[in-house]
Amino acid sequence: MKKNGTKITVLDPRGQPSGIFGRRLNVDSPMHAIHDPTYQPRDTAEALGKLKMAPRLDKLDGKTVYLVNTGFAGGKEFIEELDGWFKRNKPAVKTVVVNKKTSMFTDDPELWVEIKKNADGVVFGVGG
Amino acid sequence: MENDYGVPTAPIVTTRFADYVQRDGRSHGMNLRWTFPPYPVGWVPRETLRGYIEGNDPVSGALLMDELISALTQPLTDAELHPKAWQRPTWPRLLEPDTEENLHRLFLENGWTDGLPILLPTEERVAEMLTGTGHAPQEYVGMMSVTTHEERLQYTVEKLAVIAVMAGARPEHFPVILALGASGRPSMPSSTTSFASMMVVNGPIRNEIGMNGGLGALSPINYANSVIGRAWTLMSINMGDVRPGATFTASTGTTINYNNMCCAENEELSVWEPFHVRKGFKPNESVVSLFRGWTVLGFNTGPLTRMVEVMKNIGGPFGGSFTFVIDPLVAKSLKNDEGYADPAKLSEWLVDKLNFRFKRPEAVNFVVVGGEMNPMWVTTDFSYFQSVSIDPWIPKAGIKKDARPLRMPAAAVCKDGSCGIDH
Repeated sequence: MKKNGTKITVLDPRGQPSGIFGRRLNVDSPMHAIHDPTYQPRDTAEALGKLKMAPRLDKLDGKTVYLVNTGFAGGKEFIEELDGWFKRNKPAVKTVVVNKKTSMFTDDPELWVEIKKNADGVVFGVGG
Repeated sequence: MENDYGVPTAPIVTTRFADYVQRDGRSHGMNLRWTFPPYPVGWVPRETLRGYIEGNDPVSGALLMDELISALTQPLTDAELHPKAWQRPTWPRLLEPDTEENLHRLFLENGWTDGLPILLPTEERVAEMLTGTGHAPQEYVGMMSVTTHEERLQYTVEKLAVIAVMAGARPEHFPVILALGASGRPSMPSSTTSFASMMVVNGPIRNEIGMNGGLGALSPINYANSVIGRAWTLMSINMGDVRPGATFTASTGTTINYNNMCCAENEELSVWEPFHVRKGFKPNESVVSLFRGWTVLGFNTGPLTRMVEVMKNIGGPFGGSFTFVIDPLVAKSLKNDEGYADPAKLSEWLVDKLNFRFKRPEAVNFVVVGGEMNPMWVTTDFSYFQSVSIDPWIPKAGIKKDARPLRMPAAAVCKDGSCGIDH
């Protein structure tokens, strides 16, 4: 190794961006698969960049909003308190509390279809 | 819900993950309308949760419920209607030339190390490391992320040679490090629960490169165990994109991450088939097996019934996975005294005895490690995940060894009572 302030050249140790991202698990995936590169579904930045947000509601009064507990610690209690807030402060909004049956990392198409059929909007929580 | 079902959505995560989800949205091209209550929401009184809901979002400063309702009702902005995914730039192969002292500082301050001194990956050192495999430097090996949803970083043989140099490895160790890279599996996946990993090497390479599966195999007294285990962590940091607080969220962390319990199995003293053979590999294949869980739950001695008692008392918080690291004396006792010639039968018996919620015998594994100094076994909550063949990464001419391979002192194991008398 050169000393006395001589400059040397070394290689950058970091991996390079791949444009490949992780994605939510299929409904039948084991929970640990979220951290398993063998089973973790992947998406590309290009495919993800085409996703669109849904049009918003003009108001909430008279609408049905699903409040979905995704399953993290405290989520059930938080969502129940959120429901209480709506009942006290926005009684014209119909709320439906749902505890997601599959893990927080897993897809749940049956629930999504139910929400699409019955709800005008949805709240998911609480992550973390 | 937004894209596939057209339902306006208001997602909520705690402030602790605000940066994470906002960055995630930026890189995915969809910035969802998040609301952030304070942290934590788990194991706090109801009144506290009510206070969060009636209070302000600490990130935006707005009333939390105003924000949540706006998320569902405010018309989409131009940026939301026409999002652009953010693309990370690639970086040059070489860093700007600098002095050795400044480069050490650069690596440390950028979080490219584990905090311990490294060998700087000069072109000469990396070229020498590459002699440890027959694969081309620019050959793609895999991709990795310590997170679940963020972008994977991809890497070549040369990039893993950089990691091997930094860890202090020699070319003879490189095939094992490449096999670790080929798994695509980081040793320290990001979780608030602080994951730990273990790696166990089987097959001829163990002895060829001087790995330790005997006395003190899990202690820092063996060069190969130390540098290979460390390389997996340096790989996870730099290929898995570890950024503390951003991509890496282990709340307490774990010192197991430094070396990942890297060891060999003591095939010579084990009365059972080697672990890799039990997983479908040939005895003469060199294989690295990977495990992950959280922690070492204790060490014990005693007969099989004691093993059941321990398992009953210390079931991990996330289900019934156990990997027992057992001294060869324990394996002998389990075979000769308890009648278990096949550890798979032992796993079945244990699971049946415990009536686990997750009744999976394959979730209870045994590796034989140790020097027959004490018939003890170490209990971990690790799950076995994967075994990777090392052989494809070994040069056709065989493992590239130094003329005089670097070895730390081997354990002085007395076989006939005549050794060690002059100490």
